[in-house]
Amino acid sequence: MSEDAVKRLPLHIVTLADTKRILGIRYSDWLLGSPSIETGIAASSMAQDEWGHARLLYSMVKHFDLIAWELEYTRLADEWCSAPALDEPFADWAAFVAAVVVVDGALAVALESFGDQSFNPARSRIPKMLAEEEFHWQFGEAWFRRLADAGGEGAARLQAAARAMLPSTLGWLLPQDHLYEVIAGDLLVWRQDRVRARYEERVGELLGMVEIDLDHVIPMRGDWDPKRRRGSGAPGIEAVERARGDRNRSLMGKLE
Amino acid sequence: MTDPSPGALGESVYDVFARKKRGEPLRHVGYVDAPGDALAKVYAWKTYDEENWFEMCVVPRRAVLPVNRHDGPWGK
Repeated sequence: MSEDAVKRLPLHIVTLADTKRILGIRYSDWLLGSPSIETGIAASSMAQDEWGHARLLYSMVKHFDLIAWELEYTRLADEWCSAPALDEPFADWAAFVAAVVVVDGALAVALESFGDQSFNPARSRIPKMLAEEEFHWQFGEAWFRRLADAGGEGAARLQAAARAMLPSTLGWLLPQDHLYEVIAGDLLVWRQDRVRARYEERVGELLGMVEIDLDHVIPMRGDWDPKRRRGSGAPGIEAVERARGDRNRSLMGKLE
Repeated sequence: MTDPSPGALGESVYDVFARKKRGEPLRHVGYVDAPGDALAKVYAWKTYDEENWFEMCVVPRRAVLPVNRHDGPWGK
């Protein structure tokens, strides 16, 4: 791995890990309030998967002499690198379903890209993550089809949520920055045309059911923050405090 | 309040069968309510995850034909 890639790959890993951690928080909100007990259990289990994946991803930074817990517990909300589509809680079940397809789908493609290339910790850890993600996909696909086929308010809300999430998610998945050029050049991730084609293969047909053409979605990269590899905004402080477990960690003494 | 029954949500019962090891018989481990085959598989896998199953299957209860008893859950 080139010296430049050694310097830059950790931020790519943190981008994936932070997104998984916030996605886990957003999924966990729907243990209660989802349409059935089975659906709530699935949402809870998916949240658990996301946090397990986040933990494994954070731990990869030790290969670069970084300390995982500092990333996990000491950063402020506006230092997080999570996908902007997750900054706010999902407004309703249709938004949950849209996020499983649009955002979790993008994460899965990003993982495929990372796990298929030359960084050995990713090659060894990511296949199991993707096996677990397969159930997320089946869940998202089935619910997306169900809401889209039903028409009416459910389909309209699904379409609105997916439309709202797509531009920033494409910008997050396909960042036009030097970091990506470096790690793709070092064969640590797929080149972006392959990433985009895989994402289109994965979500294109479903989005077509609510009359969204991915070719017409313009990736949102405005106010790009190179330190966080995303546009402006941040997950709410409440979500980050829950993710870090601040309230209950403080029971064990003053946080350093 | 909308009708809360599984039927009103378009759901039906799927029975869940699993085995821990190759060669073991599949055993009935429970059931889920689901609106179709695809979600039944996901719900079953996520709900009955107490074991590291070697194999899991779901069967729509309506597909089960009782042979000698008609007073159990599969006879209704």
